[in-house]
Amino acid sequence: MKVLTIAGTSVRRLTRDRSNIFFVFILPMLLILILGAAFGGSSDPRVGVVSSGSGALGEDLAGRISEVEGITVSDWEDKDSLVLAVERGQLEAGVVIPEGYDDTLRNSESVTIEFVSRPDPSAEALKNTVDSAATEQGALLRAAAFTVGQGTADFSEALETAEDVAVATKGLVIEQRTVGEPFAFEQLGRFELGAYSQLLLFVFLTSMTGSAALIQSRQLGVSERMLSTPTPVRTILAGEALGRLSVAMVQGLLIIFGTALMFGVDWGDPLGATATFLVFSLGASGVGMLMGATFKNDQQAGGIGVLVGIGFGALGGCMLPLSIMKIFSPTLYNVAHITPHAWGIEAFEELILYGGTIADITLELAVLAAFAAVVFALGAWRLRAALTK
Amino acid sequence: MEGQGNGLVLECRGLRKAFGDLQAVDGVGFSIAEGETYGLLGPNGAGKTTSISMICGLLQRDAGDVFVDGKPLTTRSVGAKSAVGYVPQDLAIYPDLTARENLAFFGRLYGLSGNELKTRVDEVLEIIGLADRKNDKSDEFSGGMKRRLNIGIGLLHGPHLLVLDEPTVGVDPQSRNAILESVEHLSTEGMAVLYTTHYMEEAERLCDRVGIIDHGKIVAEGNRRELVELVGQRDRIRLRASGDLEGAAAAVAGLPGVLEAAAREDGLDLIVECAADTLTEILGGVTQAGATVSSVDVDEPNLEAVFLHLTGRALRD
Repeated sequence: MKVLTIAGTSVRRLTRDRSNIFFVFILPMLLILILGAAFGGSSDPRVGVVSSGSGALGEDLAGRISEVEGITVSDWEDKDSLVLAVERGQLEAGVVIPEGYDDTLRNSESVTIEFVSRPDPSAEALKNTVDSAATEQGALLRAAAFTVGQGTADFSEALETAEDVAVATKGLVIEQRTVGEPFAFEQLGRFELGAYSQLLLFVFLTSMTGSAALIQSRQLGVSERMLSTPTPVRTILAGEALGRLSVAMVQGLLIIFGTALMFGVDWGDPLGATATFLVFSLGASGVGMLMGATFKNDQQAGGIGVLVGIGFGALGGCMLPLSIMKIFSPTLYNVAHITPHAWGIEAFEELILYGGTIADITLELAVLAAFAAVVFALGAWRLRAALTK
Repeated sequence: MEGQGNGLVLECRGLRKAFGDLQAVDGVGFSIAEGETYGLLGPNGAGKTTSISMICGLLQRDAGDVFVDGKPLTTRSVGAKSAVGYVPQDLAIYPDLTARENLAFFGRLYGLSGNELKTRVDEVLEIIGLADRKNDKSDEFSGGMKRRLNIGIGLLHGPHLLVLDEPTVGVDPQSRNAILESVEHLSTEGMAVLYTTHYMEEAERLCDRVGIIDHGKIVAEGNRRELVELVGQRDRIRLRASGDLEGAAAAVAGLPGVLEAAAREDGLDLIVECAADTLTEILGGVTQAGATVSSVDVDEPNLEAVFLHLTGRALRD
């Protein structure tokens, strides 16, 4: 019970500080929301189309564009508002089908369709998507024009025949085969990447900065006073360790359940996700305890804790996905695995991306458990020495 | 090795502790009986806190033994520590917890729980005068209130031995007086108290016996009278008087307990064994000799003088 008393007091003291409430609980959720909104991969690009006054063929082209898979199409009244929407990021691209499009084509004259986008890398892919719809219509128009040229039908009849033939004719089919592994973030839902990377980043960061509380207890003389009570040193150590772990667990569980409920994040196999989170938290708590026992003042621990927490997070793939790191710098990718974050991220990717189970992440769990055991042992040894002099 | 079990609450023998080349404590030993207040009096750096840390099992000792209620106490002891209430020199409370939460936290570490814990917390809050501030965070308290909370934690479990390490340092006079009254009250209730201080007047007021510690050694021990006699100090009485001063001096010089009597221009100077015992007879003798006394000054040798005599330096050096 004394262990729980010491641990509970750690959590109580953490929650007493309002700034802690923000940094430990609110900030991670905000970052997940922001990352999800900025880089989320599940929503389709939005394309606006202006087709008023373009005639039947213009409306036909607009319909063909809206049937293209992988984009979300909306109708716009005029070109100016469409361009403004693209500029402001409300649309990824816009297509302007000019007035008189139908008449011009029937007169066998050339027509220019305007494609509007921001100078993003994705613009070219979107243009190709729109091109495919225009090309499809263009093929029918050329066939109709050929028939009209033969003098066997007028344009409308010829176009109708061409459409019938197009439906009846089996065209070429391109079969897609994928090789290698996908970039992690491309396969994830809007919030998944942010959720597990921020979970690991913040749980570790909080454990680092939380080491200051352990130092404060020593500086305040409370730790020494605990020793004057009939409480064995091992109980005090266990209480302090459980306190660090409890803080990490409270924060982590809030992020996990919060993102699942608010953002629909799927954490994959519950057993695997729980095991990964638990062993990672143990390691983070162990590092926090080691720092709390080693440093002499809380400012020192707080400053270095933030540096180590963010540094390890950045190196370990919480800011730059490991799959990208692996392609652009295999050396950096290998170095990243000195951090527990890299192992934690790969475990979560296996669970979330590939539907893996706890059996598929035994290596990651073993490494994280070994890391936790080593740092916990070091932390307990240092803290015992600091307490008992 | 065991304690003698002769009603002593605390026995410590031959305590030694060195930090590198510095011998901080060098063979300290004393005992405290039930209801007795023992003062460890010495200047800063004399070894008081180091001795207390070893007695309370906070610091590994190089040599020596400590027994509380006849049970040996070391850093690893659990049972013997239950009988000790430790009040450190520096505040050892969580500033971000309320008075009640601080008391409950340490109460649980002392093994209290449930209704017993709640009752003791409420009782201690009353004793230390913080019942009406029990739900305020301790960092909102004045220095004196924090000190009282610091002491209250040591009282929670009803210890047989209360160890107070300079509890009035940096405390305002009103809070200081309240603390001293509390200690006096606890002593009358049978609690053994070990009280360290470098304030001579606190030791004289509170302590049944005093150990004077300097350079890690107890250089003298006893009650105030014993210590004064140990160094041969005597009480001085100065009388402002008029009339036949030479006759008055001659008249009182022969009284029992009067060691010296001399007339001066405006009165008499006397050296006596005990001013309290002889003052009435002296005043009577002077009046009978034809002199008129207008004022009396009594100068009793104090522990400051004893300390100066024993160590060659003042307590606050």
